[in-house]
Amino acid sequence: MTRLVTWAMNRPRTAIAFAVLLTLAFLIPFPFVVIDTDPENMLEADQPDRVFYTQVKEDFGIYDMIVVGVTDARGIFRPDTLVRLDRIAEAIVAIDGVVVEDVLSLSTTDNVTADGDTLTVARIMEDPPATEADAASLREVVLGNAMFREKLVSLDGAGAAFYVPIERKDQSHRIAQEIESVLARELSDEQRSYIAGLPVAEDTFGHEMFVQMAITAPLAMGVIFILMLLMFRKVSLIVPPMVIAMLSVVWAMGALIGLGFTVHIMSSMIPVFLMPIAVLDSVHILSEFNDRYPRIGDRRRTIQAVMQELHRPMLYTSLTSAAGFASLMLAPIPPVRVFGAFVALGILVAWVLTITLIPASIMLTREDTLQARVGARPAGRPMLDRWLPSVGRFAFAGSGRIIGAALLLLVVGLAGLSQVVVNDNPVKWFKPQHPIRVADDAMNRLFGGTYMADVIVEGTADETIKRPDVMAFIDRLQTHLEEHPLVGKTTSIVDVVKRVNYVVHGEQPAYDAVPATGEEIGQYLFLFLSSGDPNDLDNFVDYDYRRSNIWVQMKQGDNQDIETLEGVVAAFLRNNPLPPGIELRWSGLTYINKVWQDLMVTGMRNAILGGFAAVFILMVILFRSFRLALISMLPLTFSIVLSYGALGWVGKDYDMPIAVCSSLALGLSIDFAIHFVQRFRRKYAETGDLSVVNAYMFGEPGRAIARNALVIVVGFLPLVLATLTPYVTVGVFFAVLMAISAMTTLLLLPALLRVAAPAPSGQLQSL
Amino acid sequence: MNTKITTAAGGLALLATMSVVTSAQEPPTQIMVRSQEAFLAAGNDMVARITMKLINKAGKERLRDLTMLRRDLEIGNQKYFMYFHQPADVRAMTFMVWKYPGRDDDRWVFVPAIKLVRRIAADDSRSSFVGSDFTYDDISGRDIELDRHTLLKEEAVGGTPCYVIESVPTSGSASEYGRKLSWIAKDSWLPLKEEYYDRRAQLARVFTADEVQTIGGHPTVMRRTMRDVKRAHRTEVAFESVRYDVGLTEALFAERYLREPPAEWIR
Repeated sequence: MTRLVTWAMNRPRTAIAFAVLLTLAFLIPFPFVVIDTDPENMLEADQPDRVFYTQVKEDFGIYDMIVVGVTDARGIFRPDTLVRLDRIAEAIVAIDGVVVEDVLSLSTTDNVTADGDTLTVARIMEDPPATEADAASLREVVLGNAMFREKLVSLDGAGAAFYVPIERKDQSHRIAQEIESVLARELSDEQRSYIAGLPVAEDTFGHEMFVQMAITAPLAMGVIFILMLLMFRKVSLIVPPMVIAMLSVVWAMGALIGLGFTVHIMSSMIPVFLMPIAVLDSVHILSEFNDRYPRIGDRRRTIQAVMQELHRPMLYTSLTSAAGFASLMLAPIPPVRVFGAFVALGILVAWVLTITLIPASIMLTREDTLQARVGARPAGRPMLDRWLPSVGRFAFAGSGRIIGAALLLLVVGLAGLSQVVVNDNPVKWFKPQHPIRVADDAMNRLFGGTYMADVIVEGTADETIKRPDVMAFIDRLQTHLEEHPLVGKTTSIVDVVKRVNYVVHGEQPAYDAVPATGEEIGQYLFLFLSSGDPNDLDNFVDYDYRRSNIWVQMKQGDNQDIETLEGVVAAFLRNNPLPPGIELRWSGLTYINKVWQDLMVTGMRNAILGGFAAVFILMVILFRSFRLALISMLPLTFSIVLSYGALGWVGKDYDMPIAVCSSLALGLSIDFAIHFVQRFRRKYAETGDLSVVNAYMFGEPGRAIARNALVIVVGFLPLVLATLTPYVTVGVFFAVLMAISAMTTLLLLPALLRVAAPAPSGQLQSL
Repeated sequence: MNTKITTAAGGLALLATMSVVTSAQEPPTQIMVRSQEAFLAAGNDMVARITMKLINKAGKERLRDLTMLRRDLEIGNQKYFMYFHQPADVRAMTFMVWKYPGRDDDRWVFVPAIKLVRRIAADDSRSSFVGSDFTYDDISGRDIELDRHTLLKEEAVGGTPCYVIESVPTSGSASEYGRKLSWIAKDSWLPLKEEYYDRRAQLARVFTADEVQTIGGHPTVMRRTMRDVKRAHRTEVAFESVRYDVGLTEALFAERYLREPPAEWIR
């Protein structure tokens, strides 16, 4: 390493040219970037629930769905409004990528009605009614049919819905926009419209993600720049760290894209994560350089002294940060693995670039300029200088109390940790005032629900689904599900059979039931197939009548909600044993989201434990002392336990972004401890006097740690301004993590080291 | 028994009644009239055993096995009677269709499980025939005047010279398709191929006549396939023991026979 640094100092221009050239090479893959916003890809291609979901979609011709709502304060059942709705339906089926035959709306869905001995099969609204009276009778027909009310029209008749299945999920943003322009064209001021559905949320997130990256990453850079300017005053000194941060991002992202990985929601966060981390080593070097240059007065000798002091801690902090992120490669979630691997890569790139380009750039700065800006000013910043030593004295003097308080906090944190709730919902990745959230709220208030799940009934033999006992069971299960407030609507083949039974018997309420014989069921289904669109049935039963699908519309789509429903069904099964020869299994997009969430939690936990072990081993190697290694792990342990414990106390859900933060904490919290313990040990070996060492630690080393903590906390704060909540979460949560970590380092470590530091003999002195 | 009006006269009679067609001599429309006559109304009556295989994307099959009786009254006016042998749970279900020119068919169905006959009112142009890829329009013939027909070109299908006719629904007429192309054999007037395009001008369904035999002097499509291109679903139909002019009486096509199918014809 020292040779590399010396080379960069001797040939600064070559070093910089070399870096620029390599960066250009890493830029080449950028135009080939492939975006992936599909949360399904959070699961391995062969993950059983995903395979099953794919099969279910295939078997039943189920597509992901956009749900469009139109409300009219005076009610939709007026000739004028119905004409508009009819035109909207016509325009929607003309949009490319819409599965025309499965669009559900007043104008496209069939209704079977009885009039004496005649069964009429026709669109619910074949033509928009011309008179108020006709509109009113249409209202009666629609609200009188359980298959339509709260699904196609809201209970109060004020809103109508269009269910728009789409061929491909990655088209949903475009299709939603086209629908939006249709709505803008066809509706007057009297109507309001909403576009909801998970695919829209997911695809829109993908689009906004890039806007966010384009805004928040530069904003973070800007904030870090200003902060560093305040610390180090000289622009030419702080431009290199900023450039290094950007280069690290380019290298990491270039490698990611170049190796053929897609940019997923996870990997889109790489720049935001990498930038503050990438300036850390630079801050250490510059901080130390600023403190020493006035005394030494020569740039080359100052750099040599600084690098001598810092090279080991910088190597180890970079290794541990990289290890923290690399630990994510143990997770069972492909995008998380990619994220971990390339952040780790970026960190190592940043380290190489820092130890070469920072010395190189300092060598290129004229000595007289350095003298004027750095040499002339008093060492250190007055504010940090004023409070840091007193913090040191407090920590040293009150070591007992600090350790006691820390133990207490740890218990509180662990208690909070036990209350952490794992939950997520892609729609909630948008802030509450975002149109997608507004639409989601409105639609789920008015209609059966925009979150789709499926309960698959799997029979062991062909024709099983036609059995009266199976049909009756499905009917009871649906009734039970619909009684739950989370469920708006359920639809299955049983509803079709009941409807035909009801209609062939002249709409007598007694026949709105599952028929008693298999013959009746078979013949009603045949009758249905012979009058309408056979597709309608294909969505609910497979070709062999072996497998059937209960479409569950949920009003809320949090992972916890689907878990609640799983519990509801499980409880139902205890009192209503399954008929022989069938089994139930959950599927659907909302369910799939829950599956990867579960994997994420356990996967992240295991990854973090693995990373924790890896970092501990690195510490033992670095310090050659178990005791010091254990002590150095404390800030990390504290920040994780306390910040995640705080989640439990505050009631914030443990979601995708929060899970990712843990690896960041693992990789970064250890940094402060490494710098602190390493330099403590050197000084202790030198002087052998704990109080002298303590005073020293709250000089230069303390300043560097405080500065770095500030850079990270402030550098992540611009994320709070993001419109997407995962970014906000990362910003806030990470600031908290780092603050705790810095405080633990500056308070608990000196206290513990006073009490528990190994005597500066033997191994320590040998360094 | 009604004597059958000749094809040419029938076509002219029909053309004369049409208000939308300005030039009565326009050949494409006449080609379509002749084709429908040869394809769906050959002879005075017909009896056939028909098996339909409905095959989905995954290659799974559903079977329909029925006996069909047809009697022609005049052009565009026919009566059909269908008895289902299979699938097992619909055995003895019967359908009756009275087809009229210029309006939707009358249809009745007998549901043996509840011993009830129900009349069904539905849009012929889009209601599926027993779950297959054929609509009622495909089975009994869509009214010719609902479309505007143009002769595009002449082209051979499997070595047989054909007229290629484009049919576009006249404004206001109900239709599931935006355009249809038919390849009509010059010799037999049978459609050997049809392509249905949806309203977004995408190919939706394709019909092919896979085997033609001449029975009782009538070229007859014995095997045919309709493919739903988008659903990757298809229906293969095989006609067996086809007989023409067996002397079916109009009285057979009545509600009472739905309940008690004429054993003489249903075997």
